Amino acid sequence: MKASSKTYFILNENSILIQYDHPIDSELVYTISNDKINIEKNIKDCIFEIVQSINSLLVIFDKNKVSTDELISELKKTENKEYKYFKSNKIWQIPVCYDIKYAIDIESLAFDKQLSTSEIINIHKSKVYDVLSMGFLPGFMYLGFTNENLHCERKQTPSLDIKKGSVGVALNQTCIYPQNSPGGWHVIGISPVNFFDLGSKTPCFARPGDKIEFIEISNKEYQKMKKEKSLKPNLK
Amino acid sequence: MIRVIQSGLFSTVQDGGRYGYRNIGIPHSGFMDKESAYAANTIVGNDKEESLIENTLKGPTLLFNDNYTISITGGDFNPLINDFQIEMYKSINVKSGDTLKINNTINGARCYVAISGGINVKSIFGSKSFLNNITDPYYLKKGDNIKINNNPNKKMILKNKLQFKLIDTINVFKGPEFDLLNIKSKKQLFKNEFTIRTNSRMAYNLEERLEIGIKSIISSPVLPGTVQLTPSGKIIILHRDCQTSGGYPRILQLDVSSLNFLSQKKINDKIKFCLINL
Repeated sequence: MKASSKTYFILNENSILIQYDHPIDSELVYTISNDKINIEKNIKDCIFEIVQSINSLLVIFDKNKVSTDELISELKKTENKEYKYFKSNKIWQIPVCYDIKYAIDIESLAFDKQLSTSEIINIHKSKVYDVLSMGFLPGFMYLGFTNENLHCERKQTPSLDIKKGSVGVALNQTCIYPQNSPGGWHVIGISPVNFFDLGSKTPCFARPGDKIEFIEISNKEYQKMKKEKSLKPNLK
Repeated sequence: MIRVIQSGLFSTVQDGGRYGYRNIGIPHSGFMDKESAYAANTIVGNDKEESLIENTLKGPTLLFNDNYTISITGGDFNPLINDFQIEMYKSINVKSGDTLKINNTINGARCYVAISGGINVKSIFGSKSFLNNITDPYYLKKGDNIKINNNPNKKMILKNKLQFKLIDTINVFKGPEFDLLNIKSKKQLFKNEFTIRTNSRMAYNLEERLEIGIKSIISSPVLPGTVQLTPSGKIIILHRDCQTSGGYPRILQLDVSSLNFLSQKKINDKIKFCLINL
């Protein structure tokens, strides 16, 4: 990707937002993942953290150690380096129960899309998704991109209590709620997997650039798997 | 040890915050009003980011089971020790059996109680700051016992020169989506006063709306101090416990000090935005 397709926006006294002017696709996820590691390797000591999102990187720094201008020129220097640190060939298999009992929005979505609920399920599970970014809630992943037939706006009125594990769709993305939470995505299923493990050194198993595949399970299987407290998914 | 005899409205343990985990969705948290919290810690000889007790609108009643040096800063909640009024921004020696009553706020929304040595609770992801779904408990309840660390090398300041001030002007920078606002909205933002409608550690919602909202954007990073505008024109100012990303346009960003000033605002208080350059 050309360096010129990035812009540096000064957000406040101690953060710089690097914005990417590029179509949002898997290539962009790889570019941003690489850039993040490249910055971490080349600029040390003055950066508190780098937050990765779908089309930007937020660099939070220690303003006592470096000025905004100095840091921007350091960041620009890293652009010229050849690098390819990031490779991921991990595909996580996430069991999902699409039973109507948990898929609280699947019927209204099917109605809007003029599809049957089983068509919605088939379309949803027949793709392998990229982990575009993480955030919002601890362990929440933005997954892209859904088949055009599932594209939809967020719900007009967000639900106040979405169950932990709920699988949602909105815009051209899908997600899983890692904890009970309010939210605006259309819920079409539920997963028994634990997406955020407080006790672990790596609380989230996946990272941006990994892939996610949804595997349909029955309500009975869901009930059985749910009993395991910290259920981890399988790698394909 | 300190025992919670009566709980406040929402009292938590906070420290400098939890840095380095926004990538997996964990917020910064930490003191809402950093300046007041730093003062409280400095007075009792703690590191300025040491853990202390943050109280919201109405404080708790605490019973000391040992001798401690404490300080109270931030909003004036009319603090009493054994029913006697005490001075704020000053180090105070309390004895075992003394009770500290933090009343309803007289001014400000948050006050801080620092104890020399800091609070002995488990650090999770590098911070002791309470947060729902990350720490258990996530607020102080009646009957809780709070353990205190020893502070053998304390260098205390008798009285801090700092005084608490309420400030209505909130300094802001342009946010990444500022230019999506039309001229009328920009005028409205900087001419008008805004009223606080709700206030929590996650966000402040404002009463007055802009006439024209902006369509949602792709989920993007946000920070404490990010001002979001919803499609219906609602203004939300994110605070310390805010989520790490969001889909509402980020029209403004508070400067670091203004985030402290904002955290002392209560429901129905007024603020004004002032655009500044970096």
